[in-house]
Amino acid sequence: MSQASLSQATAPAGQQEIPARRRTRLGLRYGRRLQLIGFAFVLPTLLFFAAFKFGPMLWAVELSFTSFDMVSTPDWVGLENYERLAEDPVFRASLVNTFVYIAGSTVLIALVGLGLALAINTSVPGARACMAVMFLTNLMPIIAVTLVWRFLLHPFGLVNQLLAPFGVGRMDWLTDEDLAMPAIIAVTAWRFAPYFMVVYLAGLLAIPRDYYEAAEIDGAGAIRRFLHITLPLLMPTIFFVVVVSALLSSRIFLMPYIMTGGGPGDATRVLSMLIYETGFSYMKMGEAAAISVVLFAIMLVFTVLQMRIFMRNERGLA
Amino acid sequence: MSKTTQATTTSAAARLHRREMLLGTGVALAGLGLGRRVLAQGRGTMNLSFWTFENPQQRPWIHKRVRMFTERNPNVRVDFQYFPFGDLGQKLSVGFATGTAPDGFVSQDWFMPTWLSRELLAPLDVRRLGYDSKEAFNTDFPAAFVEGATQGGEVYGYPLWFYGFCNYLNTKHFREVGLDAERDWPQDWEQLGEVARRLTIRDGERFQRQGFKFAMHAAQWTMIHLNAIVHQCGAKWFDDQGRCVINSEAGQRAMTIRASIARQYGAEDPADTIATNPLPMMDWLRERCSMFLNHPIPPAAIISQNPRMQEEGYYRPVQYPGVQRGRGYSTTYGFNLVVNARAPRERQEMLQEMYRFMMSDPADAWADAAPFPLARKSGWADNPAVQAFPHVNEIIKARDEGVLLPRSTVYNELADQVHRGVQRIMLNRADIKETLDAIAAAVDRASERARRG
Repeated sequence: MSQASLSQATAPAGQQEIPARRRTRLGLRYGRRLQLIGFAFVLPTLLFFAAFKFGPMLWAVELSFTSFDMVSTPDWVGLENYERLAEDPVFRASLVNTFVYIAGSTVLIALVGLGLALAINTSVPGARACMAVMFLTNLMPIIAVTLVWRFLLHPFGLVNQLLAPFGVGRMDWLTDEDLAMPAIIAVTAWRFAPYFMVVYLAGLLAIPRDYYEAAEIDGAGAIRRFLHITLPLLMPTIFFVVVVSALLSSRIFLMPYIMTGGGPGDATRVLSMLIYETGFSYMKMGEAAAISVVLFAIMLVFTVLQMRIFMRNERGLA
Repeated sequence: MSKTTQATTTSAAARLHRREMLLGTGVALAGLGLGRRVLAQGRGTMNLSFWTFENPQQRPWIHKRVRMFTERNPNVRVDFQYFPFGDLGQKLSVGFATGTAPDGFVSQDWFMPTWLSRELLAPLDVRRLGYDSKEAFNTDFPAAFVEGATQGGEVYGYPLWFYGFCNYLNTKHFREVGLDAERDWPQDWEQLGEVARRLTIRDGERFQRQGFKFAMHAAQWTMIHLNAIVHQCGAKWFDDQGRCVINSEAGQRAMTIRASIARQYGAEDPADTIATNPLPMMDWLRERCSMFLNHPIPPAAIISQNPRMQEEGYYRPVQYPGVQRGRGYSTTYGFNLVVNARAPRERQEMLQEMYRFMMSDPADAWADAAPFPLARKSGWADNPAVQAFPHVNEIIKARDEGVLLPRSTVYNELADQVHRGVQRIMLNRADIKETLDAIAAAVDRASERARRG
């Protein structure tokens, strides 16, 4: 017996017509109709994403197999753009720089953010006010912040002046091949660590106080409490911070572009800058799209790896 | 009629009413738009779009002449837009790619091969520009500049401004160290190094004043400063087959001269120079540097940064130093008025009329944009107002004797590679030969890719 006839058979006499009334003129059941209406509501958003997010992404993948100078019709060249990239020392240097930047800034953001959150999550007076002040770094426009740092890191800028009393001589932060990338990583951490501090803080506040009180009664010191309570329970937050900050770092453009222009030489050229130069300065959109695809693949692999580690960790904790 | 039915009918009527309203509004708006277009066509209105770059003197003059043209031709409207100097090329590229490029624009001359190789420019009719023949047109401009604006016997660019670089001296600094700028201005690169060393004031590692400095902040400036030395040394950027040969012995000599002011004479600090200035000539204007190679500097720019310098007049431009004493010359570059090949024919013709009008009063161009010299030879240089400008003949001489930047479809790649190479040599003391080899190899790779499409 079908569900409809069963409901008709078991329904009270006064309600027997309800299923009939719940059918639309198109013969759709009420539930299905609701689903369609819901779908209609989200359809504009889906279309928007298809047209302006996934559409361009797919087009970029297609372009990466073509030679396209933004003016003529794209010519299919197969894997030639990827082969050229493999031979190009500037691409290889940019790839290495991107990995160094992602690794450096992710580690620094994760550590500094955690340190700040732990410092704020104390009963020291004024700690919360400090949090608000630190978060201000995220509210300032990134271009202004980057320009200010360019001045601060000038050979005779404030940073070197502050270091001088400690016997530190002139440091060419942005023009020395060995210092430029660490300097940009440090500025990145300065900019983003306070943001992730707030995320950490939310994680810290979610840890029940009872655990700490029980540990204290058992004689655990601050370090043991941190290692055996805080760190394990904060692990999901740490993984979140690492994944998000790594993705953020992989797309970085403005900081190296404004602070060093990719220099000195190619010391701070990252893939996103190379995409911009190749596409808009050299008018080689096919090749720029190929670099974009490589960057996308890196981000995808990185995300999947971290998600798997995260899931394994979650299962371990459970 | 039951209450429910009545409500349904009212609701349906309301829905119908709203639909009708929307439909009616849509039709009315469409009709209004169409009507305006029909009316505009009826009056013969022509809408032109025109793009140029921002420059505090040049852009307002162009805008003024465009406005004057539209006032005299009420049936012509010009959508005038301008962009930062360094952004115009990219804006145009994107415009061509998306079909939104303007009907006409000002093109930096080093972009001409890029547009011409892609057949993006329309040929100009020199008679429409006011010349009797192509010969008359060609003889009115420096040959090297005309060469870049022509292809296959057709003219594709109407030369606008064209200028060389001068060595701008702070004559007060010269006096302070016992030098006379009129007599002791450096005429070769060794003399430049020696004079710069005398002008330099250092406090330990810190330069309070650099005797001289090369621009380090942008690829285009690196090229402009280096290109003249490359030519003076007899080096070439490309050989006849299009291979980059800047790593030749002459090229190495040019780069050694470029590096010598910092390395040999200790008269400049490249790491300081690269860092912060919004204008390349700012250190010279603020007297933190005594000599700087620059395009003609308008008095307004000096007044805005250092009114005392302008008031007391303790500066002067002189010619570039040479590899051979007294035979220095600089890089020159200029700008062309061009027409988009994809613009409708009647707009192309109207733009040429507009260009002719714009350039019909060169003295006015000088008055508004001095001391940027025009590319054309006739009609302005002997004007008393022009001749009254301090040291104007140095500026004109730099224009006439200068050499052009390399014209290549891989110019941007070349400029970027050279810029990175100069950074490595100047900031990280990289080996000159190895660096030039790497530059040549990278440019050859770019050329090969360009050839293969």
